[in-house]
Formats: sequence, C-alpha cells, structure tokens
Amino acid sequence: MNAKTYVGQSVPKLDAREKATGQAIYAADLNLPGMLYGKIVRCRDFAHAKVLKLDLSEAAQVPGVVKVLGPKDVTQKRYNSGVLDLMVSEGLGEVLGDIEDQHIFTDYVRHQGDAICGIIAESEEIAEIAAQKVKVFYEALPVYLTAEDSSRPDAIQFDERKPGNRAFQLPEQMFPGNAYGWGDVDAEMAKADMVFEETFTLPKVKQCQMETHSYVAMYDQTGRLNCWTSTQMPKCVQPKLARLFDLPISRVNLVSTTIGGGFGVRLGMICEPETCAMAMAVPGRPVKVQLTREEDWLASESRHPGKYWIKLGVKMDGTPVALDARFMASTGAYFTHASGVPFTTGSWLTGMYKYGAVRYKGEAYFTNQAPSGAFRGYGNPQTNFALEQIVDRACNALNIDPVEWRKKWHKGTGDDGWCIGVPFSSCALDECLDRGAKAIGWNEKRAKYANQTGVKRRGVGVSVMNHTSGAMPMLLEHTTCTVKMNEDGSVVLMISCSDMGQGSHTVLKQIAADALGMPMDEIHILNNMDASGFDIGSHASRTTYVGGGAVIKACEDVKRQLIERASIRLGVDKEDLEFKERQVVARSDASKKLSVKEICHSGVYNFTNPANGETNGVPGQIQGYASHFPSHNSPPFGACFAEVEVDTETGEVKVLELVIAHDIGRAINPMAVEGQLEGGAHQALGMILTEETCYNDAGLCRNNSFTDYKMLGPVDMPRITTILVEQPDPIAPMGIKSVGEAGPVNPVGATANAISHALGIMFTEAPITPERVLKALNQ
Amino acid sequence: MSSRVLPQFDLLEPRNVADVIALLSQHENQVSVLAGGTDLLVWAYIEKNKTPYVLSLSAIEGLDHLDYVAGEGLRIGAKVKVAQLLKHPDVAKHYPALYQAAENFATPQIRNMATVMGNVLRASPAGDCSCAILALGAKVVLQGPAGQRLVDIDDFWVSYGVTERQPDELAVELRIDDTSSSTCSAFQRLTRVHEDLSKLNVAVRLEMDQDTCKQARIAMGCVGPTPLRLKKTERLLTGAKISAELLQQVAAAAREEVTPIDDQRSTAEYRRQVSGVILKRVIEQAVAKS
Ligand SMILES: Cc1cc2nc3c(=O)[nH]c(=O)nc-3n(C[C@H](O)[C@H](O)[C@H](O)COP(=O)(O)OP(=O)(O)OC[C@H]3O[C@@H](n4cnc5c(N)ncnc54)[C@H](O)[C@@H]3O)c2cc1C
Repeated sequence: MNAKTYVGQSVPKLDAREKATGQAIYAADLNLPGMLYGKIVRCRDFAHAKVLKLDLSEAAQVPGVVKVLGPKDVTQKRYNSGVLDLMVSEGLGEVLGDIEDQHIFTDYVRHQGDAICGIIAESEEIAEIAAQKVKVFYEALPVYLTAEDSSRPDAIQFDERKPGNRAFQLPEQMFPGNAYGWGDVDAEMAKADMVFEETFTLPKVKQCQMETHSYVAMYDQTGRLNCWTSTQMPKCVQPKLARLFDLPISRVNLVSTTIGGGFGVRLGMICEPETCAMAMAVPGRPVKVQLTREEDWLASESRHPGKYWIKLGVKMDGTPVALDARFMASTGAYFTHASGVPFTTGSWLTGMYKYGAVRYKGEAYFTNQAPSGAFRGYGNPQTNFALEQIVDRACNALNIDPVEWRKKWHKGTGDDGWCIGVPFSSCALDECLDRGAKAIGWNEKRAKYANQTGVKRRGVGVSVMNHTSGAMPMLLEHTTCTVKMNEDGSVVLMISCSDMGQGSHTVLKQIAADALGMPMDEIHILNNMDASGFDIGSHASRTTYVGGGAVIKACEDVKRQLIERASIRLGVDKEDLEFKERQVVARSDASKKLSVKEICHSGVYNFTNPANGETNGVPGQIQGYASHFPSHNSPPFGACFAEVEVDTETGEVKVLELVIAHDIGRAINPMAVEGQLEGGAHQALGMILTEETCYNDAGLCRNNSFTDYKMLGPVDMPRITTILVEQPDPIAPMGIKSVGEAGPVNPVGATANAISHALGIMFTEAPITPERVLKALNQ
Repeated sequence: MSSRVLPQFDLLEPRNVADVIALLSQHENQVSVLAGGTDLLVWAYIEKNKTPYVLSLSAIEGLDHLDYVAGEGLRIGAKVKVAQLLKHPDVAKHYPALYQAAENFATPQIRNMATVMGNVLRASPAGDCSCAILALGAKVVLQGPAGQRLVDIDDFWVSYGVTERQPDELAVELRIDDTSSSTCSAFQRLTRVHEDLSKLNVAVRLEMDQDTCKQARIAMGCVGPTPLRLKKTERLLTGAKISAELLQQVAAAAREEVTPIDDQRSTAEYRRQVSGVILKRVIEQAVAKS
C-alpha cells in the first residue's frame, strides 16, 4: 500500500485558508459585464393581506430603472421551493400530499416578507429607490401565528387543497390511524405503574448561516438560463428551475458558488425563482439579487416551532411500556417541508427506545409566519427536548439513574431503526454513555449536586440521540461520481455533492486519495453541474456516507480499467495484479509492472506505428464512474452530558461543560468530526438558552437581526470535550457513520436535564431564558 | 427594515472645534455628529435620525485626551475610545465602576471604535459607560457659539435619546468627579449573551468610613427612559452601616423605585426583580474592593 494514507488524519479543510483570508468568491462577489441589479419588493407591514392594487408606475419612471415586474409579468406556474417532490416517487408524493403553493410574486400575502414585485435597475441604489416608490394597497386579514390559531374552524383557509389549514398529517394509507409506531398504545399504557405527560413548546429558530442569500442569473443568447447560487442542493435546484421556466435541464446552467453555511436553509430554492424570473425579463443581461440579513430572516425558512405533547408510561422497574406523542408543528406560510419534518421528528422518537408500544402523530399547520423548513437535525432537536426530558422525569420519579436507564432501554444493533423495517446496522451508544459519563464525572456530580441550597446551583444532565447517514429508504438516495484520469496520472474528481463548509470536499478527496493510493494535492474536485451527474444535495448527513461510497466505487472502476490494461500489456492474469505505490505490479513477479501514469499517458497519447500498425499501449482515456445507491443508512448514535450552574437570584444559566461522545463508526477526518460536534453544540445551546424568532400580534417579526436575535458568542461557549467512539459499521463504506446533522441534537436535552437537575424544575418551553427560570423559581 | 444602500448625506470633516461649531450653527438641526459611529451607523438608528449632513470628528486634532489630575478628577476628551479606558492605570485605580463598564462593554472591535462621549450623547438607558458615569458624578462640557458651559450629568439626559445639548453645541469633554481613598465604586450588568446591550446595568459610588456609608450614588440603566439615579434608595445607605440586613432593605427599595418596561431584551417583571439583586451585588463588590 501507499506509504501515506489520509483516511483517519485530521487534514486541514481545503477551503479554510481561502475563507479565513477573504479570498473565497461568493455569489455576492460576482461582477459580470453589463450586470443589472434586482430588488425584490416585499410586504413589510402585513403578515396576512390581500393586495388590492399594485401601482408600479412611479417606480418604473425612476431614471435607471430597466424593468418592473408584477405578479402577472412572470410565469404563473406555482412551485414548492422544497425538493421532496424530486426525492419520492410520484405515487408517494401524492400520498404525502405535497403541494405547489408558492408564486414568484404574489397578490395574496401570507407572511411578512412575501414577495410582491421585482425591480430591475442599473444599480442597487436605483433599485432600492424605485422600490420605495412602489405603491401597494392592502386589505388586512386576520393573523394566525400558531397551529392552534389557524386550525380553528372559523380561520381563513390558506389553500383550498388543505382544509382546516392542516398542511400535513401522517397519511392514513401509509400510517393507519395517522400514526407512526407499533403495538397497542392504549392497552399498554393501561398497564403502566406511572404515567408522565407534558406539552413542550418549541421555538422558531433560525439557521443564521454567515452568508446572506445572493444570486446572479442571466438568460443568455444561446437560450440558456444561467444561475449562480450557493444552494446546498444544486442538482435538485437545476431541475426545479428547468420545470418552473419550461426548459430542458441542459438549458439550465446552475453554477454552484462558495457556500457560506447552509444548515438546511439552502435546502431547495430560496430566491432563485425571483432572480431567474427577473433575468428572463432582460435577456442577455446578468441580474444580481442580494438580500439583507433582515430580509433573509423574513424570506427563508427556519426550524419548525410547535407544540410537542408526550406521554410516557413506565413500570416501577423502569420498563417503558408505552409512549404516546403528537407534534403539532407550525409550518408557516407555505407548504415546503410540511411533510418531511413532522415525519422525521417521529422517526427519531421511535428510533430511540424499546417502548412496549409507541404511537406518534405528526401534523403541520399553516400560519402567518415565515415558512418553516429544514434545519440541521430535521426534527431531531425538537424530539430531543421533549423525549429526553420526559425520560428524566420518569427516572427521577422511579429513582433510577438516567444513564443506566438509557443503557438498558435504548435500541441497538438489529432493532428496528428510525425507519421501522430497516434495522440498526450497529450501535456504539453504550460506549458513548460510559466514556461520556466518566469524562464529566457523572456519578460524583449527580450525588454532589443532589441537595443544594445556595444561590448558585449546579446540575448535570444526559441526553442520547440517533440519526441517519443519508436519506435511504424514505427518500431517493442517489449520487454520482466520475474520476477522470489525466494523462499524467493526476485526477479530476467530478461530483455534485456540495461542501457547505462542513469539509465534505476535503473528506471526499481524502477518500479518493487513499482509494487510488495517491497524494491529495494531485486530485482536483470539479463541482460543475453540467459535467457531473445526479445528486440529491448536501443534507440528511449523507455527503461523506453516500458521496464517499460513490467515490470509492468510481475509484474501483478506475482501478479495474488500469488492471485490465496492465494485464494486456504485461501478459499477466488480472488476478495476479495488484496496486503498489501508484503502480500495477504482478504478485508473482515484481519485475512485471506498469506505473499508473504510464497506463494513463499511453491511453491518451496513443500513437500508431506506421511501419507495423502497432500502438503503444491500450488506447483510450480512463474515466471511472459510479451511479451509487447505498444499501443502508448506518445510523449513528450519540450521548451528550452537560454541566450547568444556575443563579437562582437572576435565573441565569451558565453551561460549564459539555461532553459529547459520538458513535462515528470511523472518523475519516477527526478534526472535522470534532468541528461538526462543536458547531452543532453551539446551535443546540442557542436553541435551548437564547434563540427565538419573535412576532408581534400583527405577525410582524420583532427580531429579524442579530441585534435582538442572540446567538451565543465565543465567550458564552462552555468547555467542550468531544469523544469519537470508533466502532466501524459493518455495512458502511469504511465503517463510517454521519455526524453533521447529529451536532445540534443532544446538547438540547442534556442541557435541559442539567437545569432540572440543578433546580428540580423541568422547563417545558425553550429557550430557557433567565426570565423563564426566575418566574418558575418564584412559583 | 434594513437596506443595503446608505441614505444620501453630505459628509463634513472639519479640522478644529471652531469649525465644528460654525458648521453646526450654519446647518442647525440638520447635522449628525459622527464619533465612533457604532450607534450612528446602525441601520435602525439611521432610519430614525436621518439628517442631510454627517459631521465626522475624525479629522479634528485633539479631543483625544484622557487625563487624571488628583484633586480635580478625570477628563475624557470627546474622541476617547472605550478601549482607552482599559489601558489607563488611573481609571482602574480611581474609577473601578467606569473601568468595569468598559471591560464588559461589547467586543474588542466595538470598544476600539466606540467613544465614551458617544455613549453619553446617545442617551440610551442601556449605555454602560453612561451608567458608571452617572454613579461617579460628572459634568459634560458643551461648546457652542457663546463658548463653553458645563452641565451636570444628573441633569444631562432629558428623555430617551434626548440630552441638554443644543443643536449648535459640540460635547467636547467629560469631567468625572474626583475620588478619594475612601471612595469605592463598582459596575455590573446583565445581558442575554456576553456581546449584547444591557438588559439591566447598575453602578454605585460609595464614600465609606470603615463599614459606614457616608454618601452613596446609585445609577441604574434599562429601568426607565434614561439612566436613573435611585435617590430614595441612596438615602437608605447614607449614614448606615453596610450589613446583610441593610442590603436586603436596599434591594427591596430599588425594586420599588425603578420603572422598567417590557422590551425585546427582557421583561419589566424580571428587571424589577433582579434590580435589587444586582444592586446588592454591586455594593458588595464595591465594598469588597475598597
Ligand atoms: C455590536 C454593538 C455592541 C454594542 N455594545 C454596547 C455595550 O455593550 N454597551 C453599551 O453601552 N453600548 C454598546 N453599543 C452601543 C455603542 O457602541 C455605544 O453607545 C458607543 O459608546 C457609542 O459611541 P460612538 O463613538 O460609536 O458614537 P456614535 O455612534 O458616533 O454617536 C452616538 C450618538 O452620539 C452623538 N455624538 C457622539 N459624539 C458627540 C459629540 N462629541 N458631541 C455631540 N454629539 C455626539 C452622535 O451624533 C450620535 O447621536 C454597542 C453597539 C454595537 C454596534
């Protein structure tokens, strides 16, 4: 084998230097000749209204304005900015009831920030000045901010296809009783010695990716629609745009620009439709659209807020005989991810423990808030908040150690996974719990903090989770990879998977370098959506697992071809040939060998000898290819431990330490795995302590900026210890399992449980702010 | 809502104070003075306070003095940055409350830009330096066409965002009252995250004789339209011996005296409750360090 291997090494991220020094080119940095600027005019003052009259005349007269576009000036086709439709069969799509309900520009405002019209001008300044001259006359409608409000019988119906404003519930055809789970919950619950029931309230949390949404689009002279975007699923947005604008996919050139963070917000389209519609109106001229942070907040999706009711029945010995749960999510103004999140929220719930019986109902209701959608974890942080707290409440009542209870009742290898019918292929949760408990000093601290009376009280809490590596089997799980061998033996790795900053391209390159036994710096990653094949995007914690599988297969294909050629040229059986330091060598006779470089070179520079008609080597440039459908989803598990200190006079919660032990299977790049866990913890602590998008009664957002939406800063972060538990998964390529989406999940439950350990009070509403803590302490 | 485009304005860059005064008089009520810009250039503020002229202090020579003279006090020029307070040994030594306010103030980047004067002139009830300065006692030196006048800090803030400064005046200097070896002071604040505006801030200045408080100044922010002096509560301290019991009474009195509201950073109910707690802690901190 090659002396140097990359898998298992903390190779620095390929893009780190570029990003840290400001050299990376984002869509907002693009300046094309003749570029125009588009401004999307949004409804600022209403969350629910009809547009009675739209007067664009004054805006159109501003010098420098090229065009103004109202709702009727663009395609009338409706769309769904989400991409679930591309990932399920038509039949399943119908059963799930996904609908297309968005317009490029609308005359029916369903949330503050809905797009009314567009202005194209010679400069951004002119576009903004003209935007201020657009006159819109609205008729205000009643505003519904929660699922409870909008599901009332007298509420205005958002969409005739969705009576009662219920965008989604688990469909009867697939889920009898509209529920996911197993067993007879009512019968089993009746056998419980104790029953714990609670309703939890989940906040509307924003991804807060660094790069605000920016796009450039141009409909060029050849009839191609070019769109520069930092979407995290370019190969899904490309066909979506093709469909919306009635073009073959080959006429949509989707250029994937540097992604300044995604976390799910770029899962599907955001303002690509508006930008492309503007570009179509001015053929031959590029149009750039840049959103402000405040606009980003109003126009793009967040995590699903809602009410999570949960009821757990246990025997005195802790046996969880039954679990009953219902998540009533607010999906916001449009359908988008209304079916996906309410389903998976339940799958993480059913995937966690060996309940005697479990029944989960997931529903989504329209409201007049910005749409909810994908956010790292995809329903899992919500489940973690509710499930892990109710488990701890039961443990406390039964006087059972929460770690021991989890070790006894969590699902493991061979049990039904998060998707019933697909068993867990491996599980290292026990090791995660053991090592995590030891690292935080669980037993000592649990005992030490049991009876405190002082002003400042400490607590420790634990939480576990399960997730997935890739979307199989619920969604289409498919990606492609082409490995082009240059004539000097260097490589172009063509993939459509995105790198959102999580380091996936670094990791895929590490995998390719090892598979081909060559140095990383002779491999180039090409992320060109014309050249590379299909992929479903960077989401569902799939890029390393599925993309890595495709890279390995495509490299195998290269190696097969190299061996075939070497076999012909050396006159040695294929079986007798092996790879050694970028050479193909005969096992039986080490003097019989050909370098990879020579095989590749002679395949390209293949000359025919005019004298005898012979060629030097086997002709043809080598390309390896894989169209990869993984056979499994090798779910990872994880355990998180938190230690907190609560000031009982001010209600302030200080997280002192987090220990995160993750079942990674095998870490391709340990530093990147740690980064994912630490970054995820940052988002989880935000959700549990400070972050929430708030609206006033009129449905207008009160904190769509960092002035009043507070993420934790560096000083606020606790010490974090990450433990990578490496028990290779038997099915996964190289034994790997995912980590990205797992990050923001279990610090949520662990921190909540640590707070209740400190105070003896369980908080049912996140974020757990000092105001809420003090109020609870006063009661 | 925010914008990617700055509003139209003319930038004035006078080189001395006399020119500033002349320009302020010439364009009365139409000029925003730009110091560090950390308030002025925040969109929400721009939107509410658009003026056709922005007058930058950056080209002016001077106004960057930070001097302590025993017997007189501390003089802070209008261009002194918050970060400078942290580097001056006399601030730490004689004015712990101001030092601690600067220490807790925003982030290093903001501290390098923000001026102390800007904090006072912003007249926000959340201003951290303002809170400390109110407790310490100070005068604001205003310079106008008729020369200089001194306004006591107790009278300087009229209402939210409004000060005694007249449109043709420039605030040139802050004069913080002198302290003695028997003076002690301290500052604390509560925020949602470390980098944030205060949801409550408290500063005290106490003149001590052993355990007895001879005189007290208590300043509290975010509990009224401007930073407030809690004069009733101060009276409880004056002449009293600092004890756990007294501090309980002081805390209770503070809760009575404040007039907080609900806003995005906190609730009135919470602020009222913790006002006493933090005041008690600030007094303990001040006394412990003296
Ligand atoms: C991210 C961030 C964090 C912040 N955190 C804090 C914090 O923790 N604590 C805190 O108290 N504040 C904080 N602030 C607010 C701000 O930094 C302070 O109020 C700062 O002291 C203002 O000073 P400046 O020099 O930037 O003032 P500017 O923005 O330049 O001016 C502020 C106001 O004062 C007027 N002004 C300034 N100088 C003069 C003068 N010499 N004469 C007349 N008028 C004048 C201006 O016209 C303007 O109205 C924060 C701001 C930001 C953006």
